[in-house]
Amino acid sequence: MSIPFQELLDFDVATLSAKLRARDISPVEVTEAYLGRIEQTDGSLRAYITVTDTLARKAAKKAEVEIAAGKWRGPFHGVPIALKDLVYTRGIRTTGGSKILADFKPDHDATVWTRLKRGGAVLLGKLNLHEFAYGITSSNPHWGIVRNPYALDRIPGGSSGGSAAAIVARSAAATIGTDTGGSIRIPAALCGCVGLKPTWSRVSRYGVLPLAYTLDHVGPITRTVRDAAMMLQVIAGGDRNDSTSSRERVPDFSAGLDGEISGMRIGVIRELNDGLSEDVARSFNAALETLRSLGATVDHVTIPSLPMAGIMNGIITWAEALEIHEDWMRTRPQHYGDDVRRRLEIGMMTTATSYIRAQRARARTLAESIAVLADHDVLVAPAAAIVAPKIGTTQILEGREDRVDVVAAILRFTQPFNTTGQPAIAIPTGLSPDGLPIAMQLIGRPFGEHEVIRVAGAYERARGAFAPPPEIT
Amino acid sequence: MPMVTAETVKQVLRDLYGYEISDAAAHSIARGAGAMLTLAGHLGSIGIAGIEPPFGYPVLLAEATRTSKNKS
Repeated sequence: MSIPFQELLDFDVATLSAKLRARDISPVEVTEAYLGRIEQTDGSLRAYITVTDTLARKAAKKAEVEIAAGKWRGPFHGVPIALKDLVYTRGIRTTGGSKILADFKPDHDATVWTRLKRGGAVLLGKLNLHEFAYGITSSNPHWGIVRNPYALDRIPGGSSGGSAAAIVARSAAATIGTDTGGSIRIPAALCGCVGLKPTWSRVSRYGVLPLAYTLDHVGPITRTVRDAAMMLQVIAGGDRNDSTSSRERVPDFSAGLDGEISGMRIGVIRELNDGLSEDVARSFNAALETLRSLGATVDHVTIPSLPMAGIMNGIITWAEALEIHEDWMRTRPQHYGDDVRRRLEIGMMTTATSYIRAQRARARTLAESIAVLADHDVLVAPAAAIVAPKIGTTQILEGREDRVDVVAAILRFTQPFNTTGQPAIAIPTGLSPDGLPIAMQLIGRPFGEHEVIRVAGAYERARGAFAPPPEIT
Repeated sequence: MPMVTAETVKQVLRDLYGYEISDAAAHSIARGAGAMLTLAGHLGSIGIAGIEPPFGYPVLLAEATRTSKNKS
């Protein structure tokens, strides 16, 4: 008896994978369900730039035959996924969310896609994003405004806005995002799903259109912590094509997922525990209580230079992004959206000395963070100070006397861990009274993804199922 | 505070990038850049004496090796 489409779409990757392997369901019917869901929702959401339906059907059929023959490639075999549209896919349009690369078809695959494809994943398509990943709204002037599945008049966050919107809308089972200042964790937080930024260098950046070489991270956006761990398992590890990728041993990221966290020490970062909206503060404090109820010790820690880490991130991004875009800024500046062009123009004023100083200063903040983690297992902070703002909003009044800048209120919480390169996972903690997702992030030691996954997994079990968004039509 | 003027911004864009922007845009960029340079000046205050920039020879060597293989 076939499983209804809606039920298929509700399976997380772990469940779906088990059913595919057991041949309870076929990759073909799962892929058809997802393609139907994209058709149903994407007119509203604009999560996709390109839907690779023909290729997806072909890959699903191949997976069906292989699984039937007993040739199981791993947990993503036959699982329909989608990639942020700055991940190179050979012969498939890869726009970077830009007009400039509107017709660009790479001649090679990014390593993350090579590894997922080798694992049998089915590519549904390429996901919308903030133009060139340089912004956090995903209000893309060239490919459409990505909308938040919980409220279509609100941003999904960015730059991986399409990646998070597709997960929550059930129009992909798992997605890949990138994170230079928060671009995995912010959309995951504002859309109510899980976003895992690994340690810098843990995942190859080969074939991923860069925003800032020394801050870019590639990672999963998924429905559950287990799915994020499973996806990271496939994509992590050194790569000869990326000289900066780490040869550090890749552990079993799911190994501690079912473990207890009793006795673990969790540090609340004092520098990131202010300026929160009332709803975010309430949800964050409730999440801390949940962690305590699981037996963890939760206390406050301080990382004095952390507020400066956002400045380091900004300076480095301005300089490196301009270096990447300089030729186009000379020849076709009119083809950029206004906000991205403006950021690149500010980068023109960056001095070489400020860039080098920002790079040097990173070690100070990382040293302070590592010192705190000598007697704490993980750190915790809100993922953003506010819930998803309405599309077009630049300033917001959140129970304060003064308006605050939307971008600053969001980036302040995520940028520091791009600067330090530490692993960080965003996980939903609740809904605001308006029904908008709120999230916290757990931050670990360099190459300590397994620890943040373990704590996030325990929290997720205690929290229970997260309320889905209203029906999208 | 380091001063970046709108005139400087306009001149850089005109002379180095070959296009013009409005006065309002130039003022906005100048404000952002001035703030950035001020804050960059403060980075020294967090104690970075003796810290090397994180650009290592192993990556340089690996890139040279990789690109030479790609060319052959």
